[in-house]
Amino acid sequence: MAKILVIADHNNGEVEGSTLEVCKIAKELASSLGAEAAAAVFAKDDSVANEVAKYIPEVFSVVDGSLENYTADAYAQALKAVLEAQDIKGILFAHNYNGTDFAGKAAMLLDAGISSNCFKAVVDGGSVLTTRNVFNGKIQEDKKVTTDKFVVTFEEGCVDADAAGSAGTVTAVAASISDIRTNVKEIIETMVGAVDISQANVIVTGGRGLKDGDKYKEIILPLAEKLGGEYGGTRPVIDSGWIEAARQVGQSGKTVTPDLYIAVGVSGSIQHMAGMKGAKVIAAINKDPEAPIFNIATYGVIGDLFEVVPSMMSNL
Amino acid sequence: MKIVVCLKQVPDMESKFKIVDNTKIDESQIAFKINDFDNYAVEAALQLKQKNGGEVVIVTAGPARAVKDIRQAFAMGADWGIHINDEVVENGDNYVVASALAKAIESIGDVDLVLTGVQSEDIQAGTTGTMIADMLGMASLTNVVKLDSDGSLLSLNRELAGGFAEVSEISGAAVLSVQSGLNEPRYPTLPGIMKAKKKKLEVKTAADLGSDTSSRTELAKRFFPEVESNCEMIEGDGAAQGVSLVDKLKNEAKVI
Repeated sequence: MAKILVIADHNNGEVEGSTLEVCKIAKELASSLGAEAAAAVFAKDDSVANEVAKYIPEVFSVVDGSLENYTADAYAQALKAVLEAQDIKGILFAHNYNGTDFAGKAAMLLDAGISSNCFKAVVDGGSVLTTRNVFNGKIQEDKKVTTDKFVVTFEEGCVDADAAGSAGTVTAVAASISDIRTNVKEIIETMVGAVDISQANVIVTGGRGLKDGDKYKEIILPLAEKLGGEYGGTRPVIDSGWIEAARQVGQSGKTVTPDLYIAVGVSGSIQHMAGMKGAKVIAAINKDPEAPIFNIATYGVIGDLFEVVPSMMSNL
Repeated sequence: MKIVVCLKQVPDMESKFKIVDNTKIDESQIAFKINDFDNYAVEAALQLKQKNGGEVVIVTAGPARAVKDIRQAFAMGADWGIHINDEVVENGDNYVVASALAKAIESIGDVDLVLTGVQSEDIQAGTTGTMIADMLGMASLTNVVKLDSDGSLLSLNRELAGGFAEVSEISGAAVLSVQSGLNEPRYPTLPGIMKAKKKKLEVKTAADLGSDTSSRTELAKRFFPEVESNCEMIEGDGAAQGVSLVDKLKNEAKVI
């Protein structure tokens, strides 16, 4: 029977949570398509494969020393071995860092259409119909993969993973892996020894709406100080060098869960919201009524942050 | 080094969007600009040219309005460009666009390095670069946050989650998709803008390039998100909003 294959992502010998989320989607799609859900684990040993097998009926395990760290070339060769050994109809994985790196390649290998960075996929008339965010989350679209085979990648956290169940089968697939063009030297920490804002009870974050670094400092720092909290920034703020990188909140920065998160001039990209949606209370101040940050905020202020924040300051 | 930058023109994301004909965006009220991530790609290419010599070629798929932003990249310092102006490509999916870009890059010949932004701000797919790499048989790496080259060996950092990066090297031709923050994109100078007008811009169609025009996905519809928001909106002028927000945080949410 044809398989819907999840490519697992793992880090330091541990499977990524987003892989387990995608396992759940694979089982749903497989059942609608009359196919079977399976996963592929490419790693230096079987440990991750055994873990993933608790979430999906069948796991194909390619074991090779070159698969300790992800590289596009090694993963492509491992996937090719699985495609040769099995009848694969669809490939699914998380649209995280490794997933983004591998997505186009997987589509070319399967010779299939790809819909990436989706948060939903259903079967519609025998084809996979995906739903995804576009235009910075202001618009959504339904995209159908029209080829017989398909590749779909999913936003992290788009569904809740199933709990671990009884272990499925783990089948070894042999692959010879060579000629990896990316020579990975090491993994480094880019925020060593810096401030850790993830412990703060109150975080005031400024975004692009602050206009420049001086205005950021003038508006955000006093408010954070007055509330006894830390200040943070969105990716554009860090990229522009207004504040240090360790204060970035979001997918590529810190994940924070303070009691109070005040987002000032922050539109709320998916990557940013992934890092702060767990805050207990979220207050958002933004001039754009359609800013996605309002979708997850507790309190929303549509207005001019340069008027609202000074007024807050004189009332604290 | 012969460096190609794949550059896309996108709407300003602060625009007020209106959906027409089920899947299209009404362009009449929208300002277009260079995809933010691609600005970093242009800057990276110009810095590598300064260091190692060579040329920087812009390749863009888009309608007539895209010329403005190709010329903007010329004004920053890129040498010449190819504009794939073809409705078939414009209405095609990521595979069709990747095929056209790959064929255009192939037509340039002896390209050492292809740079793209990590994704477009409008479609947010992040797949074009890696598909191009595969079509051209080049190595690829995405989310590049540090990039250097001595002309033959690329020294790279790939961003990973939560404040980590992977340090790697690639020898030989590669397609890299770069993240924002890689560098500080330059602004065009006045002499740059003057020179940009005279730089060569070849206009091509899919038929000229011999690229694949069969889409593998189909856009069914676009719509505004249905939001289940529990957000309590605070009304009034700026001063009143500040007062009531503080009051709510203190007395209702009790978090300050």
